Amino acid sequence: MMRPAVVAALAALLALPALAAGEGAPPRRIVSLNLCADQLVMSLVPPGRIASITWLSRSEGDPDLLPLARRLPVNHGSAEEVLAARPDLVIAGRYTTSTTRALLRRAGVRLLEIDPVQDWDGIRAVTREVAAVLGEAERGEALIADMDDRLASLALARPEAPIRVIGWAGGPTDVPGRDTLFNTLLETAGGVNVGVLDAGRGGFDVERVVLRRPQALLRGVSYGATPSLRNEAARHRLLRRLYPQGQLTYPEALFGCGVPQAAVAAQALQRSLRDIAGSAARR
Amino acid sequence: MIRLAAEGLSFAIARRRIVWNVAFEAGGGEFIALIGPNGAGKSTLLTLLAGLAPPTVGRVTVDGTPLAALKAAELARRRAYLPQNPRCDWPIPVERLVALGLTPSLPSFGDFDAEDRRRIDAAIAACDLEAHRAQAATTLSGGELARAMLARALVGDPHLLIVDEPLAGLDPRHAIDTVRRLRALAVEEGRLVIAAMHDLNLALRHATRVWAVSSGNLVADGSPREVVDAPLLQSLFDVPARVHADADGEGARVEFG
Amino acid sequence: MRTRPVVPVLAAALAVLFVASLFTGRVWLPPREILGGTGDAAGTELARLILVELRLPRALLGLLAGASLGLCGAVLQGLTRNPLAEPGLLGISSGAALGAVIAIYSGLALEVPLATPLLGLAGAFLTALLTLALGRGGGMLVLILAGSSVSGLMLAGTALALNLAPNPYAAYEISQWLLGSIADKSWDQLALAGPFMVIGCALLMGTGRALDALALGELQARSLGIDLPRLRLRIIAGTALAVGAATSITGAIGFIGLVAPHLVRHLVDYEPRRVLVPATLCGAAVLLAADIGTRLLPLDQELKLGVLTGLVGAPFFIALVLRLKRTAP
Repeated sequence: MMRPAVVAALAALLALPALAAGEGAPPRRIVSLNLCADQLVMSLVPPGRIASITWLSRSEGDPDLLPLARRLPVNHGSAEEVLAARPDLVIAGRYTTSTTRALLRRAGVRLLEIDPVQDWDGIRAVTREVAAVLGEAERGEALIADMDDRLASLALARPEAPIRVIGWAGGPTDVPGRDTLFNTLLETAGGVNVGVLDAGRGGFDVERVVLRRPQALLRGVSYGATPSLRNEAARHRLLRRLYPQGQLTYPEALFGCGVPQAAVAAQALQRSLRDIAGSAARR
Repeated sequence: MIRLAAEGLSFAIARRRIVWNVAFEAGGGEFIALIGPNGAGKSTLLTLLAGLAPPTVGRVTVDGTPLAALKAAELARRRAYLPQNPRCDWPIPVERLVALGLTPSLPSFGDFDAEDRRRIDAAIAACDLEAHRAQAATTLSGGELARAMLARALVGDPHLLIVDEPLAGLDPRHAIDTVRRLRALAVEEGRLVIAAMHDLNLALRHATRVWAVSSGNLVADGSPREVVDAPLLQSLFDVPARVHADADGEGARVEFG
Repeated sequence: MRTRPVVPVLAAALAVLFVASLFTGRVWLPPREILGGTGDAAGTELARLILVELRLPRALLGLLAGASLGLCGAVLQGLTRNPLAEPGLLGISSGAALGAVIAIYSGLALEVPLATPLLGLAGAFLTALLTLALGRGGGMLVLILAGSSVSGLMLAGTALALNLAPNPYAAYEISQWLLGSIADKSWDQLALAGPFMVIGCALLMGTGRALDALALGELQARSLGIDLPRLRLRIIAGTALAVGAATSITGAIGFIGLVAPHLVRHLVDYEPRRVLVPATLCGAAVLLAADIGTRLLPLDQELKLGVLTGLVGAPFFIALVLRLKRTAP
């Protein structure tokens, strides 16, 4: 931990931009410590006002935002990087490194913590909250309006019977639960997660997946699809045999972050689900 | 009958001579007692003769063939070796321990045949181990273990038997039995037996030939009567000694101090 | 010489456990369903597929891995005349684990389907060579120390791979994998690792006579014609093949190599050669039993095979140490 004198000096340095900007003015040096917050910040404010985002955004999230993310400075969540960026606002998730949070409080930097969300209402609430703090309420509403449009088309294009899927990434605990954003998106797109019933009792394995007889398997992809063990069981011979076309992927970040772009991801999923239903009907 | 010979046999470690320039010729029918003080190099000489250590200089030949040219398994069938204080690391039954002596001629898999069993039984009987046949080797007394090891050495019918301190830990009766047996193996069965011994009286009485080793050199080589006298013993052991011939003319008693 | 029917009894127990393993799973598949009596054709088809594609390779893998571990433990205990020796002694399981971890996290496992077992074997052999080279010319103690130090090197390498892993799940996944499991394996992995395990076990099986002779110590064993350097080479090669292949598929499953020989040794009069086959069968049986246990225990979280063998094996190990204290001179 840093000595109090050093912290006081840094705090004085940090206070300068806030003083310069004046109280109540929209923040001009925003640091985001959370992937979901990154997405919101990049959607709401011009790049000049973003001091740094997390390194994760360089490979995750909304594909349209990737070029921007690659141009912006990044941080790895450490206190040093945050303070070096001299922010006047730091946005983080509820589960950020507690040391960092404690330090920021001591240095007097404004910290906004956003909660994870589980449904579209939650997304609207968080988007509005962040937009207000960033001073971009209008942009926020525009994003929400776009999202609502997409939700309307999603509702129209829903298949009659929900498509039975299992969301499984290959590990024993990799099944998204009942009250998650993943479930909301899935149901909006016209699917139903039949794995939910068993999740949490002894773990999931290939036997369980197969015996539930889903129409398709859904696998979350993250971190630029860098290799990991989670894929191994999901590529089991038996699954390849039973589901030659039925292994779908979804971008994990967009299915876990409460951002308006989730509606885009839901639309992509719906298209895949309709293909599955279509090919099943033809058989 | 087997013939064993050495020429210029020497063994050194880091320039320290342990055995130096030993030469001899010996054959079946002889029971050779190897005597000398502690640290004279007796054990090393025996390992050299057994082919278990490579000489630094010189060589050992068996029936004219250098030891180095013989395959380990082939040599093992003709020669048996027992180190000082032999141990058994697993509590196996005595009869299994004895059976280990047949290792060089046993196949990798499969058990003994009738001939093997006969040999094992004979070795057990010869060393008075019938009562301990099924007993775990690690529970034997020192003397019983020594006899079991000897039985192990004999079961394979070796032409050459090299033993380091075979009488260690044996009570008088078993010591006399053992040394008589060693002599019988040589004189009556035509084997060559070489044994390092501390018990000079038994050596003098039963051995057919004595080698005296001092500081790695073979300082005396001949029959006990010829070779062992007070001057030799005194120079070997650095202690005043007297040799009294036995009444029956067979052996002699040695007295130190 | 007493002959108890040890091998037939163990083989029968193993057969029972093998069949039991085929019928154990998250979901009970009634035999009727498998044989087609229920009239639900799709259900029968599914049940058969599960049996053939999931449970059968799992049971076979468990059998081979357990056999490899049990046999290797028996051989190493015979070689070192130390009842506390076990397959990890030469560092080979750490090397196999490192190889497998590298395969997974470098992405090779995605490109080349059988990269994991292959790199695991490579790791095992590399470790074996290192241990052999380091311990060459020294006695048994030097060999053991060499294995220990090389194992430490491999573990450090695994920690490094953990540190530099490309995504945040990696640390969790590697540690989970290292706990050991045969769940959700398929014929692909068995087809690659199986032959190596069989060859390795065959190499180890032939060391029986030499191990018997070693009971008398190295000098007497050599006098009986045993070629010690060649024996050590053979044992290291066999261990690298059998345990290396097993570990690269299953992760680190501990204690089986330590425990299985002990369970059977007193039944065969402690003779090192006669321990080999029973230890092989016992190792396979114990691993299958533990795997059945992981599937039957009513826990929320999946219990890893290596955890169960550790939980049962460690107390056994302690009991062993206590017994040694009592009987040692």
